[in-house]
Amino acid sequence: MTLAARRAGAIALFAFAACGCASVAQAQQEQATSSAPPDAVNHLLTGTQLESRNDLDGAIREFTEATRLAPSYDIAYLDLGDAYMRRRDYASALVPLKKAVELNPDSTSAQRMLGFALLAQGYAADAIPPLDRANERGALGIAQLETGDYANAVANLQAALAKTPNDPDLLFYLSRASEALSSQSIDALLSAHPDSPRAHQVAGQHFFSTKEMEKSEHEYEIALKLRPDLPNLRMELAEVYASTSEWPKAEELLRDEVKLQPGNAEAAYRLGDALMHQGKMREAAAEFERSDKLRPDMPETLYALGKSTLLSDPVLAEKSLTHVLDLEKDTPLAAQTYQLLATLHRRQGKSELAAQETKEFQRIQSLSHAPSQQ
Amino acid sequence: MNWRAVLSLFSAFAIVAAGAPTGEPMFRVSTPRGITFTLQNSPTPQKYLIETMPGGVALLDYNKDGLLDIFLVNAGHIAPGRAKLDSFDRANPTYWNRLYRQNKDGSFTDVTEQAGLAKAGDANFGMGVAVGDYDNDGYPDLYVTSYGKNVLYHNNGDGTFTDVTEKAGVAAGGWSTSAGFFDYDNDGKLDLLVTRYLDWTMAKSKVCGAQQPTYCPPEDFGATTSILYHNRGDGTFEDVSVKSGIASVKGHGLGVAFADYDGDGFTDVYIANDVTRQFLFHNNGDGTFREVGVDSGSALTVDGDMISGMGVVFQDYDNDGRPDLVITELPRQPYVAFHNDGRGLFSDQSLEAGFGTLSGAVSGWGVGLEDFDNDGWKDLFVAQGHVFDNVQSYDGGLRYLEPPLFALNRAGRFEKADAGTSEPMSGRGAAFGDTNNDGWMDVIVTRLGGTPLLFENRSASAAKSHWLGIQLEGVKSNRDGLGARVDVNGQTRFAATSGSYLSASDPRLHFGLGDKSHADVEIHWPSGVHQKLSLDAVDRYVAVKEDTNP
Repeated sequence: MTLAARRAGAIALFAFAACGCASVAQAQQEQATSSAPPDAVNHLLTGTQLESRNDLDGAIREFTEATRLAPSYDIAYLDLGDAYMRRRDYASALVPLKKAVELNPDSTSAQRMLGFALLAQGYAADAIPPLDRANERGALGIAQLETGDYANAVANLQAALAKTPNDPDLLFYLSRASEALSSQSIDALLSAHPDSPRAHQVAGQHFFSTKEMEKSEHEYEIALKLRPDLPNLRMELAEVYASTSEWPKAEELLRDEVKLQPGNAEAAYRLGDALMHQGKMREAAAEFERSDKLRPDMPETLYALGKSTLLSDPVLAEKSLTHVLDLEKDTPLAAQTYQLLATLHRRQGKSELAAQETKEFQRIQSLSHAPSQQ
Repeated sequence: MNWRAVLSLFSAFAIVAAGAPTGEPMFRVSTPRGITFTLQNSPTPQKYLIETMPGGVALLDYNKDGLLDIFLVNAGHIAPGRAKLDSFDRANPTYWNRLYRQNKDGSFTDVTEQAGLAKAGDANFGMGVAVGDYDNDGYPDLYVTSYGKNVLYHNNGDGTFTDVTEKAGVAAGGWSTSAGFFDYDNDGKLDLLVTRYLDWTMAKSKVCGAQQPTYCPPEDFGATTSILYHNRGDGTFEDVSVKSGIASVKGHGLGVAFADYDGDGFTDVYIANDVTRQFLFHNNGDGTFREVGVDSGSALTVDGDMISGMGVVFQDYDNDGRPDLVITELPRQPYVAFHNDGRGLFSDQSLEAGFGTLSGAVSGWGVGLEDFDNDGWKDLFVAQGHVFDNVQSYDGGLRYLEPPLFALNRAGRFEKADAGTSEPMSGRGAAFGDTNNDGWMDVIVTRLGGTPLLFENRSASAAKSHWLGIQLEGVKSNRDGLGARVDVNGQTRFAATSGSYLSASDPRLHFGLGDKSHADVEIHWPSGVHQKLSLDAVDRYVAVKEDTNP
């Protein structure tokens, strides 16, 4: 992750956790290390007012004066650090925040702010202790992600998400941490068992899920070289090719998979799909029919059979599609099936029936917000 | 004959079929000499959606010297933080639209200023261009669309243009995209249809994507209507969007194409919408239209999915005499071929046409069906490039920059061919025409942030196939003959300059004749006049004037 991204993460969480003033207000409620002389308090009040008017330079001037007048008063340093944070001057914020922590190690706010500032400056390892003491699980998770402690990062980010579900920043970092953890595990597996086809298969699956198609293809190819007879490998690699519309390559693999597993209905279905995407409708229909025989009553197979025979064999198409509707009610696939039947019946001149099917298609769509949207 | 001989014959056939000099691709790809225009789309971190949508290009012979000239639409300058965010700085020459006149040596000269086309109107972020002779004076006029206000430039016939928008009453407003001239009521005067994309403003703009800022999808903004302007014939137009029925439905219009799909003698309208159903407006012949997309089977894919419609072309790709539709769109679904089955019905035959293999992981914009190898079958060319300039950062299977797609038509099924470049680009507009009058169709493509590229078809020197070009001159019909159906040796074209994406193409109708050196021509003019010609001399352009006493 880049420094900019780290900063962005810290900034996002800084905003998410609570704005600086809330942290300071909270700190002010905590027991301060000492009382401040009245002059220092006046500067603190003036600084707070200026800060509220977004005059950060003025606020920094006042807070600095307060630290000069009350050098052992931790709140003044905390206010000063907060003002620098607001100005996104994290380097300058570090000095007063470290002093605030030094003066009052029990101040949760000071620990939290220091942790944020360190993280924003790229000192992820240094940010971990203060964030841990402040129990700031989200930022702690990010810092751990940065330092390669992926397992703890995942745990802490999940804990933070439990408090604020669906937070997009936390979800983003959790996703990154999970990916990194998964990648780490795969690396460990490959390192321990470099000749394990399963290890390369898992790596292929991982890269496919992260949409790194070239890496995925590479891992599957290694797995195939190691164990050409391993079932499903070709089917999975074919899925990689399908995702980039390399259907002829997918077809070749699936033909081999079908030879390897002649009784596998899914392999036949996927081969049919690869053929259909190339417009080879008759061959596709044959594979869908074979798949249907191997594993009857699969709605997707019946739908594909109907689609592939729509122009060439309307009787079979209608039979297959009607069968889908026996199995599926008010689902996206049912909606699609009505749409296909409407097309079929319009072509046959049965416009009233087609209109009814179109209405059914639209009705189900309105329930499920359209099938197979991109 | 041994296998070696068979193979050598096969490869010889392949070269002739491709039509290019031996061993070289059909197209030579370069920025034409003299053209310095750069499409300034001003990408910003704020991801204003207008940034990624321009821009159009037109091929037209504005000065009637027989050579196609090039008009390029520029976008504008977006300066986030500036008080007047939507001024777009169009007075600055960097952001002007540009007209380039073609010289006899094939180079181009910038004549923007002398033609009166400098600047582009304050607060206009340029999009597209339509071309048509709306006043039937024999000179093509220009209509430039924008986010902001559109501009109609009347061609004065002396190399200059005059902005007549206000008088004509065609400024539109909102976010206009593709536009096209056609004669919907067959009164001999070209009307104007303007598609609009979204109910969007700079102020309404927002950024999408949690950690990877992207342009927001069109669904995040309201839909809007297209506009139909009726030509009164006195230099003014009437907005008939509501009374004609064109405004009866709202969409996210990006592309428009015209053809008489049901053979009733009236030109129909197809609008490519982004992530809403597509619109087919059937021309009722009485000044009104009925939207029949769903009923005709041309609104959704075979699976009932929405199409992210961008560009569209409405021509006959399988030589059955009926205009079909090809629509370009975003990845994860193939481009769409709606085959015209007759009786007013279409069927999605994208996979049968070969688009499943050609297009599933790419994004298409400008599109044309032209017979590039003159074998009698219209081939496919698509300008490509994803909408999001950072798409690769969150989807490793996609690319922002993509080379164009070129596919040869093998009896109704398309097969990928060499486009002349594998250079990835952010292709957008595409206009089609024969820029050097050699009988072989060329393409000009616009690129975001780049100069336009001319795909110059070099097949003339090597190929044996014949061709015919027809320049229509309407008398009772509109002067350009737009909307005419022209049949040549079993092929059909519908006369149009619009189609593609934001762009306008050569108005001449081009036909590849294969090995036939004779052409039987039938023209069905919009006026109803039916004209036949038998030509023994081909490999040339012929001007055909509408016969008012057939």
